[in-house]
Amino acid sequence: MSGALKKGIEATFRDARVETPGDGRVTVFVPAESVPAVVHYLKERGFDHLTMVSCVDRPDDGELEVVYILSSYTNDPRLHVIVKARVPREGGGLGTVIGVFPNAEPYEREIHELFGANFEGHGRLIPLFLEREYAIPPFRKDFDSRKYVEETFDSIPAVQDE
Amino acid sequence: MDRNQISKWLKAPAKMAHKYSLHAVYFCTGCGIIEIPPVITARWDAERFGVIPVATPRQGNLFMITGYVSVKTLKAIIRTYEQMPDPKYTVGFGSCPINGGMYWDSYNTAKHVDKYIPIDGWIAGCMPRPEAVFIGVTHLWTLIDKGMANGYARYRKNYAQYRRNQEMLFGELGWPPLYPIEDGAPGGDE
Amino acid sequence: MTGRHEKGVMSMETAASASHTTTGEAGRKLELYFGPQHLGMVGNFSITLEVEGDRIRKATANPGYLHRGFEKLMEYRTWIQNFPLVCRVNVVEPDSMEMIYAMGVEKLAGIEVPERAHFVRSIYLELARVGSHLFGLWAYANMLGFDTVAQWAMYHRDLVLDLFEELTGGRVYHIYIWPGGVRRDFPKGFKDKIVSTLHSIGGCVPDYDTAFFNNRLFYDRSAGIGTVGCEEAKRMGATGQTLRATGVDFDIRKVDPYAAYDRVDWDVPTREDGDAYSRIWVVRDEMIESVHMIFKLLEAMPDGEVYHRIPNPFKWDIPKGEAYVRCESSRGELGLYLVSDGGDKPHRVHFRTPSYTNGLVILEKMLEGASIADVGNIMISLYVVAPEIDR
Repeated sequence: MSGALKKGIEATFRDARVETPGDGRVTVFVPAESVPAVVHYLKERGFDHLTMVSCVDRPDDGELEVVYILSSYTNDPRLHVIVKARVPREGGGLGTVIGVFPNAEPYEREIHELFGANFEGHGRLIPLFLEREYAIPPFRKDFDSRKYVEETFDSIPAVQDE
Repeated sequence: MDRNQISKWLKAPAKMAHKYSLHAVYFCTGCGIIEIPPVITARWDAERFGVIPVATPRQGNLFMITGYVSVKTLKAIIRTYEQMPDPKYTVGFGSCPINGGMYWDSYNTAKHVDKYIPIDGWIAGCMPRPEAVFIGVTHLWTLIDKGMANGYARYRKNYAQYRRNQEMLFGELGWPPLYPIEDGAPGGDE
Repeated sequence: MTGRHEKGVMSMETAASASHTTTGEAGRKLELYFGPQHLGMVGNFSITLEVEGDRIRKATANPGYLHRGFEKLMEYRTWIQNFPLVCRVNVVEPDSMEMIYAMGVEKLAGIEVPERAHFVRSIYLELARVGSHLFGLWAYANMLGFDTVAQWAMYHRDLVLDLFEELTGGRVYHIYIWPGGVRRDFPKGFKDKIVSTLHSIGGCVPDYDTAFFNNRLFYDRSAGIGTVGCEEAKRMGATGQTLRATGVDFDIRKVDPYAAYDRVDWDVPTREDGDAYSRIWVVRDEMIESVHMIFKLLEAMPDGEVYHRIPNPFKWDIPKGEAYVRCESSRGELGLYLVSDGGDKPHRVHFRTPSYTNGLVILEKMLEGASIADVGNIMISLYVVAPEIDR
């Protein structure tokens, strides 16, 4: 099954690269512009369960890697397709997939808030968890949480009872 | 009741009534909330200690800060605390309100909650057992007896400092000061 | 004085703009806040409701009150130091979190788990499932006003917590599952204790049925409330009892077995209607199925060791790679995406929690058009657990 899938994806999307490590995963590396089309293609092939949308910070490459994990409710559920796309850390963005999978909406909002990636067409990229402004999005590798704690919380003095 | 209690009731009936009817505001602030349902239901039964949960802060006089306090929750805690009528008692439940606990290096949790609201007693543990809650309640009774559970009085007296700490953390606060902040003379309208 | 009152009716904190118009159409609209300080809110979560009369026009979930930045904190601690931290992601059922993290680490590091440990893990997870469902039953029965049944459920959950305390030393946070197996074997006589506790809980099922599950009032309050159809549930990414109540028997323990779930014979309970009534009946059936499964697992459990040694945990580098592992927690599919860059700390940890879709996508959709009194009803029947959403 994964062999046929690999052939199908590579035939339809010229700039996609597919790997099948063999443990139930099919990993598809695509450029950022093709992501909504690839996700739509996979949904039509029976991968109708968007499990999660994640993001990994790759500071050495200067990129954010946005990861879509798809599986199926009805076909062999042990097979996962992991779609990966890289966007630049500053100003990077890609198209939203909420037209294909409505439950991607909070995931994309969270990635925008915590990593800074933009999702065009989302419409509701308002903060999900955080209320404050951070100079660097908090989940990036260069945001030092411990230093932030020292500056923000430890610097507040205890109340002296006169 | 035994005869020791009768004299206490006659001498300070209000204090005894406060002690034995600590009504806890039902606010699940953090993960400590998982041990509150066992405490208030039949097996551990907090009602024999006088502790029952109530719906709104206006009806309560005990505020248990159960677990860690995120920055967003801290705003809600301050507003809830300020709505409670005096005399009111706060108990920090778990090790997170004391010094940040497990999440000491998190960018979103307030580490020492007693910089923002006064805390009368602490119950250590992660997760404290229900028996620890009852020991905390009985210690609070002792403090009330001795007049040392005066967090609400400290809040009124040092309100300028608490308000300053709250503003240092949050910036502009969306609600007016609870007590007027004059130079050294916090009048009260409670 | 609380007395008996509908937990669904909430305090009227009106938004400043809406309260100034009091005439005509606009005067009937209000913005109400369900939570975070609310007697019906279990967990620190908030829903902003735009209400017209008694009907909700629009619901906006407002998470973030419990956000600790878990996944960031885990990047600062070594692989083994993360075990005490990871169980605190979800406070109602911490065991499935430990399991999923251990599965992820074992997959990345290539560690095998002995056979007996698989059985011990399955029994442990099923006990956790029973405890978690009883907690959900407490919350739901309280929401509808069945206070007696809520007291029973919490009492029986405490009996299960006693078992956990004997096995692991802690009532709530156990830290029992370890990469390579479990921390220690069952103590002497523990198997009989499990059996007698489960018999005493199971013996009360007829009482629960008479008082709650077969009660006409429960049916009237929950039938037809928060209905979601099969296709819509799949489209919105539902898993767990939200999906099984619509007739789809999708359970990770069956479709992608882990631990010892494929060594014993058991069924996946489903219902047809997809409303709150069906979801709670699925919860009841799952609890009973878990109890039977524990008995079967205890019978079939082989002897042997429960732990394969791992390298020195304080100097443990896991090879570069990524893993996506999943398990069936009491609320649905719980997944973990784990990335290692060859070091002694994780590079990226991302939990896929079932309450994320339930509480942010499905809840907002289902509350449209619902009555104010049913907000808590729908929220708890979807089993939205707030710490899982925020992490």
